[in-house]
Amino acid sequence: MNALLPFLVVILLLAASFRKVRVYDSFAKGAGGALPLVGKLFPYIAAVLVLAGLFEASGLSSALCKALEPLFSALGIPAPVLPLVLVKPFSGSGSLALVGQLCSQYGADSYIGRCACAVYATGETVFYLSALYFAGGGRARPVVIALVSNLAAALLACLLCRIL
Amino acid sequence: MNVLFVCIFAISSALVVLRDASAFLPALLEGAGNAVTLCLSLLAVYAVWMGFLQVAQDAGVLRGMSRAMLPLTRRLFHTQNTQALEQISVNLAANLCGMGGAATGAGISAMRLLDRERYSQEMFFVVNCAGLQFFPSTIISLRAQAGSLRPLSVLLPALLASLFSLALGILLVRLFCRR
Repeated sequence: MNALLPFLVVILLLAASFRKVRVYDSFAKGAGGALPLVGKLFPYIAAVLVLAGLFEASGLSSALCKALEPLFSALGIPAPVLPLVLVKPFSGSGSLALVGQLCSQYGADSYIGRCACAVYATGETVFYLSALYFAGGGRARPVVIALVSNLAAALLACLLCRIL
Repeated sequence: MNVLFVCIFAISSALVVLRDASAFLPALLEGAGNAVTLCLSLLAVYAVWMGFLQVAQDAGVLRGMSRAMLPLTRRLFHTQNTQALEQISVNLAANLCGMGGAATGAGISAMRLLDRERYSQEMFFVVNCAGLQFFPSTIISLRAQAGSLRPLSVLLPALLASLFSLALGILLVRLFCRR
């Protein structure tokens, strides 16, 4: 499994040079896009994590987790992952921020860390995308369908993290 | 998001003040510090992946994939609008490869081209929202950076869950949205 990634990347680079792509220049061009992208993300990540810091310090976070623990553990979602499931439809950078925090708090290989990563990797920012795609002409039905299937994916992802 | 932000901020601040008002500023600064650390790791992650994605794009991977997908998209979205189908295929191919930026642009123009075809628009939106991706590069690299011993361990759960969500979404659109 761990050899898969280097294998794919080398295949890609060889295929590209076979097709006369200037691989070095092309890679540099792509990598150059990282700085502006992170620059665009930083304000939102900062806003969410400042809020998360405050939320944590208020004791509200642990109280909420404790209160919702029975309900969510019955569904199979660990309580600390709950804020992520709630923020996900609104903000991609916000949920990425929460994933980073959960991974450093509980460890990336813990059940909670893996759940957070799997939940992030499934589904989309439904509300953000609907604003982009339906530009003002809001449609309830597809949005509800998307939310339902995203929630189902989150449940399934947590369940699969437990058994796989 | 704006309403959510103000509500949570106000309630949390009130509680912090009740417990220990001096904890207010350190909590905010700690949050911002976490943001800086996270963004630095993201910068490294994106520098690697966006580099490879650019190489893939220049090698014509995206073009080939979207061409291969055309027959499938025609059936799924029930439209004969070739221009829109092309944009849809580019969008889906880019999403599968994890190129969010390229995907969004094509997605918006597909939506515009499908102006009067409501069913196709709704199906396209729901399919996009499943967020199916072959290799979630951001999250895998973030895991590796956080010291994970098995960064790829979330690959299979995420893939299966997205596939399930995609199937469920398509089914629900077929059931509840009129053609």
